[in-house]
Amino acid sequence: MTFLPSGVYHENYRQDHAWWQTRFILYKMILLAFVLFYALPAWGGLYLIGVAILVIYTAMGALGVQLLIGFCGQVTLGHAAFLAVGAYTSTLLILQLQVPYLLSILIAGITAGLWSVLFGLPSAKVKGFYLIMTSLAAQFVTVDFILTQYVSQIGGRGQAFSLPPGSITIGPLAIDSDIKAYYLGVILTIILTAAVANLLRSRVGRAWIAIRDNDIAAETMGINIVKYKLLAFFVAGFIGGITGAYWVSTLAALSPEHFVWFWSLWLVGVILIGGVGSLYGVFFGSLFMVLILEALKFAIMPLLPYYPELSMKFLFLKEAAFGLAICLFLIFEPNGLAYRWWQIKNYFNLWPFSY
Amino acid sequence: MELFLQVLITGIMVGGIYALVALGWTLIYKCSGVLNLAMGELVLIGAYTCLSFYLWGFPFWLAILITMTIGFVLGLLTERLFLDRLIGEPILTVIMVTVGLSFFFRGIVMFIWGTDTVVFSPPIFPAEPVNVGGIIIGQVYIWSFIAALVLLIVFVSFFQLTRWGLAMQATADQEKAALSLGISARFVYATAWGIAFIAAGVGGTLLGNINGLNISVGYLGLLVLPAVVLGGLNSIPGAIVGGIIIGVLQNLSGAYLDRFTPGGVKEIAPFIFMVIILLYKPYGLWGWERIERV
Repeated sequence: MTFLPSGVYHENYRQDHAWWQTRFILYKMILLAFVLFYALPAWGGLYLIGVAILVIYTAMGALGVQLLIGFCGQVTLGHAAFLAVGAYTSTLLILQLQVPYLLSILIAGITAGLWSVLFGLPSAKVKGFYLIMTSLAAQFVTVDFILTQYVSQIGGRGQAFSLPPGSITIGPLAIDSDIKAYYLGVILTIILTAAVANLLRSRVGRAWIAIRDNDIAAETMGINIVKYKLLAFFVAGFIGGITGAYWVSTLAALSPEHFVWFWSLWLVGVILIGGVGSLYGVFFGSLFMVLILEALKFAIMPLLPYYPELSMKFLFLKEAAFGLAICLFLIFEPNGLAYRWWQIKNYFNLWPFSY
Repeated sequence: MELFLQVLITGIMVGGIYALVALGWTLIYKCSGVLNLAMGELVLIGAYTCLSFYLWGFPFWLAILITMTIGFVLGLLTERLFLDRLIGEPILTVIMVTVGLSFFFRGIVMFIWGTDTVVFSPPIFPAEPVNVGGIIIGQVYIWSFIAALVLLIVFVSFFQLTRWGLAMQATADQEKAALSLGISARFVYATAWGIAFIAAGVGGTLLGNINGLNISVGYLGLLVLPAVVLGGLNSIPGAIVGGIIIGVLQNLSGAYLDRFTPGGVKEIAPFIFMVIILLYKPYGLWGWERIERV
């Protein structure tokens, strides 16, 4: 219910592209802010906060993937590599050089962005499946080779970098509890989402969308496609790096196992289920995926007394369920949850008439 | 020199197995245009099925025949249940469905068989190595290579000589013309998946004989990708040559570059080669170049 299809008219371009086109939408946003900043942390309890952090982390990671796949059409199956670069940059800066956390987040974003551009370079020449192969190489070269074999040796800390509580601080405030990490995550997500949404309504965003729809046609229109593709890789990597650096604040120890290939695929799965080419899709997808897994956990719990080996095998079931969910979604709901949401909204907008 | 020859021969032997799996991959792509990222799980399913039958006391040849039959049926089922509904969908959708399938299969494989390494016991191939002119090769490698070679010949003659094989070639070449000649494209797609399951299953069984079988054998499914990229995605000879070359390159880099790094070169090298190939020769050795028009 947005009160838009009739009754509200846009009189100029600025109104048409305004963030909050009616009062009602503004109130909804205030309600959302109330829920995110007060209701959930105050009434939700620790378990819900934990789940919310996972949702935030997934959504932030998926935002970068959405930018690349959904808006620029550059399919990537190795985004976890850039999360990993961000996380490791931030951790090393904090542990080795005592850089303030916020600054390290920024540097992590830039490093991951440049790393992403490096693996985006082949996109100047190849696309489609070949680009997927390059991103696959990015994943294995970065995480399984460079990070595991070289970066983990820095400082002689062993395979995992331990982050004792209190090592991550913003000014005098130590990020040592889930609540604080949650607030940090919410703020970062809002900033990143607003930045991406703004980029998408600018010249850059329109160029990306043109490249996604048809890159050759975009080139004939005078868009420098190599530049914009690499820019998309940089921004996606930047977001990935910030996501990784954020994830550090919720961890007790950082190791390459946090960024396995599964996580890259998970992020792509999130946007496919949420809806490719929609910012809502990022959040719908992350909510859906994380909540389904939590629900699966609860569904298995009553069976545990009878089949104790199930807790061991839950991980495998989780993987199988994730795979099946992706398959079924793509077959039966190829436009994702965002499209369904749009349909529902439309239905109520016109209610009780069908046209 | 001795080391070089040793590594070269091992690489060719292992490459034969890669070639077999790569052939299955290429077949699916050539016939139905599906870029399959679930190849590793096809390998796992085949290998574990064969192992189970072998451990239940079936002779090896019977176990592998049963595996091939089950694989073929599973391939037909997979195509019918999942891929058949996606004909005409965008490429990303199809790729992600195969990714979803790979998680589904992998979860089920781990659920049924667990994650511990299991071996074929008693070993199928004799353990003592053969000495060929100073180069020592395990018999497992030789027999695996021969088995892979035999199967490759069987497949290639199937495509060249039988009616079904020709129908598959025709569909891959020009689908509409094939349809108008009365070839059922859906049948061809399903057969391609069936054959890919067979090839992957046998490849997995052979690899499982060499190093023991655990979930990391599924890594073979990713190794196939550099091989097919090198050979050109839709070329069957390309897949075979690519598989062998990748096997050789992998073993060579493992032998010569490992001392300069803390380790792990062997797993990564194929992917680095793949990026280099993509940069300089994106259509591989014998792939079709596509000229795109708006």
